[in-house]
Amino acid sequence: MLGVTFISFLLMVYFGPDKTYELLGKNPTEEQIREVRHELGYDRPFLVRYGDYLRELVTFDLGLSDSNGEPVAAILARTLPVSLALVLPGFVIGNLLGLALGLLAAWYRGKWLDKLVMSASVVGMSISFIVIIIGLQILLCTPYGLNLFPVRGWQVDGPGSYLYYVTVPTLALVLVTLGYNTRFYRAVMAEEIERDHIRTLRAYGASPAEQLFKHVLKNSLVPVLTRIMFSIPFVVISGSLLLESYFGIPGIGLVTFNAITSGDQPILKAVVGLTGILFVVALMINDMLYSLVDPRIARP
Amino acid sequence: MMRETWQRLKSDPYGLSGLIVVSVFFLIASCVWSGLLGQGWYEVSGTRWEGISAEHWFGTNLIGQDILQRTLFGTATAFEVGLTVTICSTLLGTVMGALSGWYNHSWLDEIILWLKGVLDAIPFYLFAAAVAFALQGSPWAMHVAMIVTFWTTTARIIRGEVIRIKQRGFIEAARAIGLPGLKTVFRHVLPNTFHLLLVQASIVFVAAINTEVILSFLGLGIQDGVSWGLMLAESSQEVLAGHFGNFLAAGTALFLLLMGFNLLADALQDALDSRRIVR
Repeated sequence: MLGVTFISFLLMVYFGPDKTYELLGKNPTEEQIREVRHELGYDRPFLVRYGDYLRELVTFDLGLSDSNGEPVAAILARTLPVSLALVLPGFVIGNLLGLALGLLAAWYRGKWLDKLVMSASVVGMSISFIVIIIGLQILLCTPYGLNLFPVRGWQVDGPGSYLYYVTVPTLALVLVTLGYNTRFYRAVMAEEIERDHIRTLRAYGASPAEQLFKHVLKNSLVPVLTRIMFSIPFVVISGSLLLESYFGIPGIGLVTFNAITSGDQPILKAVVGLTGILFVVALMINDMLYSLVDPRIARP
Repeated sequence: MMRETWQRLKSDPYGLSGLIVVSVFFLIASCVWSGLLGQGWYEVSGTRWEGISAEHWFGTNLIGQDILQRTLFGTATAFEVGLTVTICSTLLGTVMGALSGWYNHSWLDEIILWLKGVLDAIPFYLFAAAVAFALQGSPWAMHVAMIVTFWTTTARIIRGEVIRIKQRGFIEAARAIGLPGLKTVFRHVLPNTFHLLLVQASIVFVAAINTEVILSFLGLGIQDGVSWGLMLAESSQEVLAGHFGNFLAAGTALFLLLMGFNLLADALQDALDSRRIVR
């Protein structure tokens, strides 16, 4: 946690863009330069500035955005729900579908169904996110395809318009994650199916559904949960960054993208710091879930 | 071991086709580097948005540059990024992994593990943006960002393998005859991790090309020259007006190369490791 904030501070604040000369007019005097640098806090020692950054993060006093002067905390509060609404369906569907296909492939391991699913997932892994987005856009949003959904934008005021705007990004997110998810879940499940107790179950004549859901799935929950929890921070930030900047959806990703292109430091600092916090929280929840699904882990 | 691997790879039709696809692309890239192909990527040789013709196989773009030339040149860009990132991050990952595996439970191991944890926790695109800032828009910022973040997986794999190999008899023998630690690592431990490195390197290559496309699209990638990512970025506006040249050319080339590499990586993994679960 401290590490994340430290590196982000080092990169973005200490070596980051120097705003001194933007604020000054032409031909500033020595005196003026020193004054502005003092105002921005550039002349204070390294550790003091780092401490300030940490305090800002902890107290959510994140300062004002450089570009429009709005408080950063307010921007985040406005955009975070939009991003969650955007990526959540794709994230859930992508993982559930991957889990289902992984189970299916592991069950029919070595048969044609397995080979079909695995070949499809290699194809899925080979298509770039951007190609998927543009391709879906051509197929679903333009007169050259079905022209069913909007090309870009986000004017949500009810379930109907939510579906109208969220479908294409969701499809893109599902398609891009499905290949990786399926392969991962299949490997996990295939290992579990090989275990002795599953073979015993089969010998006792347990139904496939009972074997798969009650025993295989339950016993492989630890790696599955780990993967899901760890991908949350990345899907929320990285996934929405691309989707939102492409579809022009006013979520946290678009804000970050604009902050990247315009060099809006307070926003970038806040986003990186908060992702670090999100990551640590995900880690903690993950540990708690571990002891829930596998009581052996809880005991030291 | 290499000959046996090659035999197994040859008998795998998917792996072999992957190898062929990658080789063809590499040949194209070499021709671009040596000046035989794709040299006219910046010339305006036609009018805007020309369709497919004998002169312009894939049509022309917004300002009348030939898309075929740009696609060919993009191949070289992809290989340049892929090779640079793969070689550097694999070397870095190997050294870090070997150190932390050999001296595991020491302070060095702790520091390297901590560093890995930190780097894995930062969202990559933000990190790339931050590196671009720190390096003041240097054209190498993208490469640096990828190298600095991609070595962690390699290091994790190598660390585990080194810890495993360390227990084996021949390492004990090396220690018994008084071989210094680091020499043992580089002479006797690391060569035994080669098969893992090869597979991991091909996975890193795929990730590097994929990431280059996304970073170029976001405006953090290739600064001079042309890449498939830049072509896709161009095409995102054009497709709405019905001009698919850039999208189809760059998208197909990218898909073929990535597919080739994925198939090759899978086949390598199968050929090098007889008891593998997938497939």
